[in-house]
Amino acid sequence: MTELILQALYSGLLQGGSYALIALGLALVFGTMKVINLAHGELVLLAAYIAYQVESKGFGPMFAIPIALVVVCLAAVSVYFIVSRIKQDREINSLILTYGIGVILTNLILLVWHADVRSTSSTWLQEAFVVGPLYSMRSELIFFVVSIVLMAGLWWWLSKSWYGRAVRAVSSNRDAAKLMGIDPGKTELVSFIVAGVLAAFAGVALFSYGVIQPAYGGALTVKAFIITVLAGVGSIPGVLLGAVLLGVAEALTVTLASSALQELAGMGLFLLVLFVMPNGLFGAARRRG
Amino acid sequence: MKHKAPLLLLLAVGYGAVPLLLGANNYVMSMIVAALVIGGVALSWALLGNLGGMVSFGHSAFFGIGAYVSALLTVKLHVPVLAALPLAGLGAVAASVVMLPVLRLRGPYFALAILAYAHIFRILATEWSSVTGGAGGVAGIPSFPTVSGFDFGNKLGAYLIALTLVLLFAWVYARIRASYYGIALRAMHDSEDATRVVGVDSTLLKAAMLMVSAFIAGVFGAVNAHYINFLEPDYAFNASWVTLPIVAAIFGGYRTILGPVAGALVVYLADQLIFKTYMPTGHQLVLGVLLVLMIVLRPAGLLSLFAKKGGAHAGA
Repeated sequence: MTELILQALYSGLLQGGSYALIALGLALVFGTMKVINLAHGELVLLAAYIAYQVESKGFGPMFAIPIALVVVCLAAVSVYFIVSRIKQDREINSLILTYGIGVILTNLILLVWHADVRSTSSTWLQEAFVVGPLYSMRSELIFFVVSIVLMAGLWWWLSKSWYGRAVRAVSSNRDAAKLMGIDPGKTELVSFIVAGVLAAFAGVALFSYGVIQPAYGGALTVKAFIITVLAGVGSIPGVLLGAVLLGVAEALTVTLASSALQELAGMGLFLLVLFVMPNGLFGAARRRG
Repeated sequence: MKHKAPLLLLLAVGYGAVPLLLGANNYVMSMIVAALVIGGVALSWALLGNLGGMVSFGHSAFFGIGAYVSALLTVKLHVPVLAALPLAGLGAVAASVVMLPVLRLRGPYFALAILAYAHIFRILATEWSSVTGGAGGVAGIPSFPTVSGFDFGNKLGAYLIALTLVLLFAWVYARIRASYYGIALRAMHDSEDATRVVGVDSTLLKAAMLMVSAFIAGVFGAVNAHYINFLEPDYAFNASWVTLPIVAAIFGGYRTILGPVAGALVVYLADQLIFKTYMPTGHQLVLGVLLVLMIVLRPAGLLSLFAKKGGAHAGA
């Protein structure tokens, strides 16, 4: 039993890496633009299907990363330009708008790649990788490392580079940032592109160790949102911890109860945090009305 | 009642012209019934958005719960169908009570939290199979009964029931909006804090709107269940039950009362008769495009084009 639980903790930890990438993209855009991009999960899924397409042509899913980067970033940029056209009632309208974009992307994926459930057929990626009593697929481990590297890069970018600091400035006070000579529009665009980069990697990762289907995008957005609620607003380590928590909760549910209840675990965690600690586990920002 | 004439015309078309001209055409009638069901959900969605200032992506939860409550009451406990309809509404209200803590959250957080709830209810309907029949669903749900010689079980009967309910709830919506509470809610739309200062319990009012909205969506879920006689979780809690009403409400104008219903008739019929013919899968793509175009170009809805010329009863 302990072994099973240890294994669940380990799998959840590895899963948390990709979850964190997805959640960070959502949080970055929300930070600069105060818009929750409800199509974010679909952007991730788009990358996953690109990986599927590349694999079906006989290449490894890894080779999909450059293509996914280009396509997903272009899609993210398009989302930005559409969303930025909203002039009135931005909060409500942007939600409905990005929801609509999500519907478009889901149906495009459905049209191009059909409704079937897909997963990788690469034996190299699926090969077992054993550490002591713990088991994982090779792809899980690879992409966990990749996501940690990406998060370190993101941290460096946000704290050291000009644009990264601009993103943080616009997130904390748009007007003050404007007075400092930062173009908020450009910064928002940059945050969308970075979110696209993270989504591209996360999508390829999802395909490399999991199963994908066209309707999965909405669930991904919800997961990313749950993580940001768990983490509160702000820090990268917080988001990673929230993501690992969600991954572990899901893995434990699958081990101890059933895989059908997996999604319920995240929701339960989410509601618990909402009731007990409405500011997130690690955050202090106000969110209550 | 300033605009009596358009209202009378609406009633004449709804209860006179449509049944007389199309009543015998089962295919068209079934389309119209489905469109009215979606119109009802769109009305409830718009009520929450317009009066409560809340965007819900979780109305499929209320719809599905209403459908299941009514189906299970009639199939397992043999409750009469017409008595089960309001109970279905109450079932959806009970579900909305579970959601009340979410009202503390604002804007995007509320919208996503309610989406999360919709997922939970769908999973529960699938997994709680001793009660709901699980993924296999519920079959043999009774149709509407025969009342004083008229059979409401056929397409025409379902049409009359759906139409009557839509108009009834539109009337309720209009009464709420014209009442003291409606004024308070409209004030809340401008500034929730200022409204609180003058002594309006904004959370209570929003909770009330969530419940009214849930009730309406639940009743239409039940109407649909008795109309198609079969339910399964993936159908009853399908995201379409929120996508279509949102498109309909935005298309018709979510700040008007009958705009969402008119939008549902146009959008659903176009979707089924035109888009679906040319794109058997993925035809909701067109709905997504429509939604995006409406929000970017004309967020007040297409009916707003006519409203400026006066005499738009939908806005009254």
